[in-house]
Amino acid sequence: MRIHHMNANVKRVYRHPLAVRLTHWVAALALGVLAMSGMQIFNAHPALYASDASTFGHSVLSIGADETPDGQPVGYLKIGGLRVKTTGVLGYGPDGMGGFEARAFPSWATIPAYRSLADGRRWHIFFAWVLVICAVIYAAWAFALWPNRKDLRELPKAARTHLIPWRVPATAELNPLQKLTYFGIVFVVAPVVVLSGLALSPAIDAHAHWLPQLFGGRQFARIWHFAGMIALIAFFVVHLLMVTMTGLVNNLRSMITGWFRVKGAI
Amino acid sequence: MKLRRRPFLGLIAAASLSGCARIATSLTQNQHVRALLEAPERLNLAILGAGQPLAQEYAEGDISPTFRHNGFDPPSSEQYQRWVRDDWHGFALRIDGMVERPASFDLPTLRNKFVRRSQITRHDCVEGWSVIGKWSGVLLADLLAAAKVKPLAQYVVFHCMDDDGTGNLYYESLDMRQAAHPQTLMAYDLNDRPVPVQNGAPLRLKVPTQLGYKSAKHVQRIEVVASLGGPLGRGGYWEDQGYEWYAGI
Repeated sequence: MRIHHMNANVKRVYRHPLAVRLTHWVAALALGVLAMSGMQIFNAHPALYASDASTFGHSVLSIGADETPDGQPVGYLKIGGLRVKTTGVLGYGPDGMGGFEARAFPSWATIPAYRSLADGRRWHIFFAWVLVICAVIYAAWAFALWPNRKDLRELPKAARTHLIPWRVPATAELNPLQKLTYFGIVFVVAPVVVLSGLALSPAIDAHAHWLPQLFGGRQFARIWHFAGMIALIAFFVVHLLMVTMTGLVNNLRSMITGWFRVKGAI
Repeated sequence: MKLRRRPFLGLIAAASLSGCARIATSLTQNQHVRALLEAPERLNLAILGAGQPLAQEYAEGDISPTFRHNGFDPPSSEQYQRWVRDDWHGFALRIDGMVERPASFDLPTLRNKFVRRSQITRHDCVEGWSVIGKWSGVLLADLLAAAKVKPLAQYVVFHCMDDDGTGNLYYESLDMRQAAHPQTLMAYDLNDRPVPVQNGAPLRLKVPTQLGYKSAKHVQRIEVVASLGGPLGRGGYWEDQGYEWYAGI
């Protein structure tokens, strides 16, 4: 690891090689576009089924709109038997042209904002390729996230530190909790999202029947794909919070220039 | 303080998302961006178009209770209504274009003079839903062999009888490899009964290796051509609206 001593108390550590920095930002852009264009695609049939073919009327999750007895539009999210009113955001929300319409995800969360399955698919499939190319380039560095014994040994201590997130110290190496989280995203969530997405393609199904079967069938693969997206968004929110609370400038700088500042001796 | 901050953060998140959506929306209208976004389609075809892998086939017990349909309303022409009433008496499927022997086949000929093929396959709509059904009919390859395709032919175009309500007729196209696929069918039966009007009576193209919009309904004429473009647009009604010609993904 390259280290510059800036003074007695602060040193700079070269933490992220160029390929990691580049793929980080490109993957971030790709995941954002994929989530938003994915919501556009989901809007075309906002229901998930736990089977191979659709079991219409028996969805695991659906987003829809109907009317109150006096004719007021209502948006709702339905998960199993639970129904939540979500008017204004989910089911019935902004159409991107100043009005409101029945649509699962609102115009501000979809790419494009207006309703277009065709355009949503173009964005989604283009950036799916961008993400996969990113993953191939990043693969050589990804194994740095493989947890070792030391990580497991120090995990309880790291977990305790995170009870007060803004006190988590800046360290040259990833702390065990950080490493495990990135490991989970890179080696578990991302592969599930990519493979379950591929499983939706009828042509890929013809080449590899086992792929949709692995996820419980084509419609079930849509659940995995959707759940993976939710997991990635949850990760993104926590990631942003931690980046902000543990030194926004230092963290951003290290992901742009590679150099990370650490206090104290190593 | 915290209680106030939360909706504020939510607003910031929505506003920044909205900004991204707005940028992407205007980029979508740029023709260079569109060309770039459409570029992977060729790559997808090159990779997934290799070989003639078969779509999964299912058992009778897997057949969906109803075969959901969407798209256009059934053909509204008087001629079509008459055919429905007269049990397709006088209807014939025309095959022409770049073939040695242009021909018309009525339904009894298709049912009795050609080998009947059946498949129980899953129909995947571009919207995201799937249904399983049993389709029976004539292999497209058998029809093309009967008409004898000329050597320079590249595409098979399917002209349909249904329109979008403003007079634009539905049409679709396949390349020669897709047309020769052992599961590409001109189907006259769905679940052992004549194809219902809403599912594409009297003849529906069935391409189980691609999304549902490839499987054109109400096919009246099969035209073999050397290239798409011109009056054949981008090779299909939905393709002209921006959907992929290669509907394998």
